[in-house]
Amino acid sequence: MSGDLKKLYSEIIKAHNETPFHFEKRDSASHTIKAYNPICGDRFEIFIDNHPGKINEVHFHGFGCAISKASTSVLTKSLVGKMPDEAIALCSTFLDFINKKLPDNTLNLQDDFQAFIGVHDFPERYDCATLSWREMKKFLESNKKNQ
Amino acid sequence: MSSLAETRILNIEKIRDEFPVLHQLVNGKPLVYLDNAATSQKPKRVIKALTDFYECYNANIHRGIHTLAEKATKAYEETRLAMQQFIHAKHIEEIIFTRGVTESINLVAATYGRAFLKEGDEVIISGLEHHSNIVPWQIICDEKKASLKIIPITEIGEMDLDVYSKLLSSRTKIVAVNHASNSLGTINPIKEVITLAHNFGAVVLIDGAQSSAHLEIDVQDIDCDFYCISSHKMYGPTGTGILYGKKNLLERMPPYMGGGEMIKDVTFAKTTFNEIPYKFEAGTPNIADVIALHEAVNFIKELGKENIAAHESELLQYASEKLSNLPSVRLVGTSKNKVSVQSFVIEGIHHFDVGQMLDTRGIAVRTGHHCTQPLMERFGIEGTVRASFAVYNTKAEIDLLMEGLQRVISFMNNK
Ligand SMILES: Cc1ncc(COP(=O)(O)O)c(C=O)c1O
Repeated sequence: MSGDLKKLYSEIIKAHNETPFHFEKRDSASHTIKAYNPICGDRFEIFIDNHPGKINEVHFHGFGCAISKASTSVLTKSLVGKMPDEAIALCSTFLDFINKKLPDNTLNLQDDFQAFIGVHDFPERYDCATLSWREMKKFLESNKKNQ
Repeated sequence: MSSLAETRILNIEKIRDEFPVLHQLVNGKPLVYLDNAATSQKPKRVIKALTDFYECYNANIHRGIHTLAEKATKAYEETRLAMQQFIHAKHIEEIIFTRGVTESINLVAATYGRAFLKEGDEVIISGLEHHSNIVPWQIICDEKKASLKIIPITEIGEMDLDVYSKLLSSRTKIVAVNHASNSLGTINPIKEVITLAHNFGAVVLIDGAQSSAHLEIDVQDIDCDFYCISSHKMYGPTGTGILYGKKNLLERMPPYMGGGEMIKDVTFAKTTFNEIPYKFEAGTPNIADVIALHEAVNFIKELGKENIAAHESELLQYASEKLSNLPSVRLVGTSKNKVSVQSFVIEGIHHFDVGQMLDTRGIAVRTGHHCTQPLMERFGIEGTVRASFAVYNTKAEIDLLMEGLQRVISFMNNK
């Protein structure tokens, strides 16, 4: 296998793909966010349980390629315990990182963000990496407006 | 498919020389093109026909008496004749040029469907259909308050004809099924489907997207009412194809699009429409691609469809056997009667990841639902990896596919 693929399918991504974080359906969740890509069929549901003012619990379920599943798993893990504004900022950071909009990619990003750096060599996988993050950011922003 | 005994062995290396695109490196590896069900590659003679047209006799057709216009018109109409012979239609005016299968089906739904479907009528399709043979019927059924019935698919990927015969009734007005499935490769018993439908007075449309490059087509023998073909799936250019329709039906159908070419006489009070096939060919058509399609027909004819089919079915058998021997691979679509398409899933590895990893080895396969979402749902999967073969593919390429898959499996399993 070529070096690029090893970088794309980093050990962290493979681990998240194989044993994703909080991978279960939560019918009682306060919010369910749907992330669906009709072109490739990736389909996730992300379940948020709110504590007043704070994201208390996050779970997800669904199917998709290794990149999209791992990225949803990292998203789920990253949002636990965050305030909405912090969560929006995290989404922006991840999306900017994938879209090469961060001034310096070696900024001290958390390891499980850095694990996606291989995606930069495969532009056709940007969508896989960002699907759930885009939907989450949209949800958080509109939720904020409605409050 | 024909038996090997009566077929000629083709010189595949020589055939490959006719396809410039095959001779390149992709990601540093020789291209292995196994996505022929999506679109086939084009031989030099088809490409040459396109450049010849634009370099030597580009002109609009049916409209001028100058030399170039006459030459272009003649070449365009010669393709019509070639397509008539290709599918054994009785009359040349039964061949209508369209953009391909999608447009052909939409044309029938929007004209025949709009004119003849009534509230309470039924349209039958199968669970094996491409979205382009589902959505146009949903649209017209919605509009007409008619209902859409689905022939279920068995575990090995065949139509359940028992259920089909029970679905048929005097309410059935249209049956639309494919000749061969793009996702599974299944060759459907269309002659039986047509005979049964005709017993109830329904008309039958056959989607020939996946059959035209592989199977003998005789529209008079099978007695279908409509048959649809896309040029690009049979070594021809993109952007063109045909709708075959029985003359008496085409004559009764209202036009599809309005414009030039499709009219006889226009006044602001009333317009009379042109004769078939021109009634359905409004506007300047895709002249160059239609003309080049003729070369694709010649290419297939010279090789002989039965010889192409024999080579491809050998490839299919070779690939299916090797694939089923790979641990954790499950074949999807295992009918005995198939064109050269093999879908499969790998336990625990998403099809998209498989496709990506094969691509880095220069191997092109299709991944996803192949525009057949209801079929994927039937099998409880999101999508498959699909390898589909054309006359220029070789067993050596299948070996490369197997090697690639083995590497994918061990890479994802950390071995
Ligand atoms: C079975 C089947 N029907 C219809 C189509 C649509 O053909 P086109 O996109 O050329 O109109 C395809 C092509 O993917 C197909 O495989």
